[in-house]
Amino acid sequence: MINFKSQGLFSKIYNWLPVIFLFISVLNEYDLNYLNLKYFSLNFPFILIFFFTLKEFKNFDYFLVFIAGLINDTVVGLPLGISSLSYLLICFLTSYFRNITIRPNPIKDWFYFLFVISLINSINYSILTLFFSYNLILMVYLVNTFFTFLFYIFFVTIFKYYLRGTND
Amino acid sequence: MAASRDDFVIAIRSAFLKKSTQQKFSLLTLVIASIFIILLSSLNFKIITYLKVGINEVVYRSSFLVSIPENFINNTFSEVKDYSTFYSNYKKDKKELNLLRSKDISNEITQFENKELKELINDYVSTSDKLLAKIIVDHQSTFLRSIIINKGTKDNLKIGTNIYDQSYLIGRVIEVNYKTSRVLLLSDLNSNVPVTIVPQNIQAIISGSGKKHGKIKYIKDGVYDSLTEKSIVYTSGTGAIFKSGVPIGKLVIDENESTLKFNVEFYSDFSQLKYVFAEVLQKTETKNLSKSTIEGNDSFNNTLEAKLKILEDKTKIFEETNLKFKEENENLESRNNDLNTEIINLKDQISSLKQTINQFNLDQDELEFLKLNLKYGHKCRKSFLNNKGFLVETPEYKNCVLNKGIKIND
Repeated sequence: MINFKSQGLFSKIYNWLPVIFLFISVLNEYDLNYLNLKYFSLNFPFILIFFFTLKEFKNFDYFLVFIAGLINDTVVGLPLGISSLSYLLICFLTSYFRNITIRPNPIKDWFYFLFVISLINSINYSILTLFFSYNLILMVYLVNTFFTFLFYIFFVTIFKYYLRGTND
Repeated sequence: MAASRDDFVIAIRSAFLKKSTQQKFSLLTLVIASIFIILLSSLNFKIITYLKVGINEVVYRSSFLVSIPENFINNTFSEVKDYSTFYSNYKKDKKELNLLRSKDISNEITQFENKELKELINDYVSTSDKLLAKIIVDHQSTFLRSIIINKGTKDNLKIGTNIYDQSYLIGRVIEVNYKTSRVLLLSDLNSNVPVTIVPQNIQAIISGSGKKHGKIKYIKDGVYDSLTEKSIVYTSGTGAIFKSGVPIGKLVIDENESTLKFNVEFYSDFSQLKYVFAEVLQKTETKNLSKSTIEGNDSFNNTLEAKLKILEDKTKIFEETNLKFKEENENLESRNNDLNTEIINLKDQISSLKQTINQFNLDQDELEFLKLNLKYGHKCRKSFLNNKGFLVETPEYKNCVLNKGIKIND
């Protein structure tokens, strides 16, 4: 893995990559939906936020997560603040999990991630249907949760490689 | 037990309130801010609306810029795909074009008639102006089907403006900013469109399915049997949300073992949209329009007067011809009566002549009998010498005389 510790500008960009990716993914709705695969959808920001909050990554500011949520709401067309709340609740649950964990275990993290995204998607679905009268398909949420859970391991492997090249 | 509860509280407090060196705000502050924003966005405050419009403008443009690489890859892929099927598509299109050209003329006439009829029904004339708009954001989200176009209030777009792909309806504007707008596609779950299904002429409401097709949400019970595959679905204009008579798609019947579903296959492929048309409608009251034109235009009055004169002349001619026809009719009726009486007289004459003829025939027979009676009466009459004879005035005697004395019994 390349080490950017001693390289000025590139090092800074490299250290901010998770945040940059988060903003790109919310602005671009990077969820592989354009592949048009039946029943396939993925929530990449959830994986990104969960992992880097769990690792307490230094540049991963909650305020930026909050802004990313607002952008996501604007792009997708959801009521403003919904995604911010979801992302911040992920941050909170992850932060709580980090505080109570003495010996981290990837499998435990993975299943805790399933619990977190299930809870967040449930809250999201409930708010949108109950308070904003949106018509949503529950099955799409379930499938989205399932694939996000499955792809977590894949992205975590990449993120771990990334972390090796940072100062963290 | 108490210690574990303390640990739990400490962990939560730490997660919520603790700010590490890089964090500018605690999680609790930001969560409260999010909830506050949700509440504010659900209330329609003017300041919030302006703020939202500002955020939308910036975010949509940023999203468009960020999407450029992905869109480039997607477009390149679809272009390569298009080139591979270019020749076959060209042939197909050529055939279709010829067919459409012939249909176009009759279509124009129908449109003109339709416009005139609508003017009669409504008390306003709608003049439409279709604006070409570019799609700047189309992310095909998992949950909501919407696109962002580069036209907004600056171009007179309003909430509810109908959006077309060619002449096919694809959705309506649900959010307007100064230079951008969000269009809710017909494939979205929250989209409901009142439609007419032809040739059956059935009214229904279709909604999106969250996928590529639409589905029939409401339809009158008992009309399912009459629906056929490939029936055309177009807007009925009920509720005045969508313009009437705009084609949407074709009906597809999805028949499983247990269920029967009616889907609508949209004419337009929503995933391949690049440019769309926004129809800006301007309604003008016809009553006011006619008043102002009459007041300001004398030539219009002249033409009306001329038309009236022509109509009066026509009426006069009709009245004259009508009188002539009446006279002729009366003459014919009297002549008819005369002829009828003549017929009756002639019939009487015929019957009297018939009677005379009959009388004459009877007299003739009587004369013949008398003649024969003189000759052969003695042979037929019963007497002392002629036991085999008959009594006079009996039919047997008459027969015998007419047979010249030959007795039938012999």
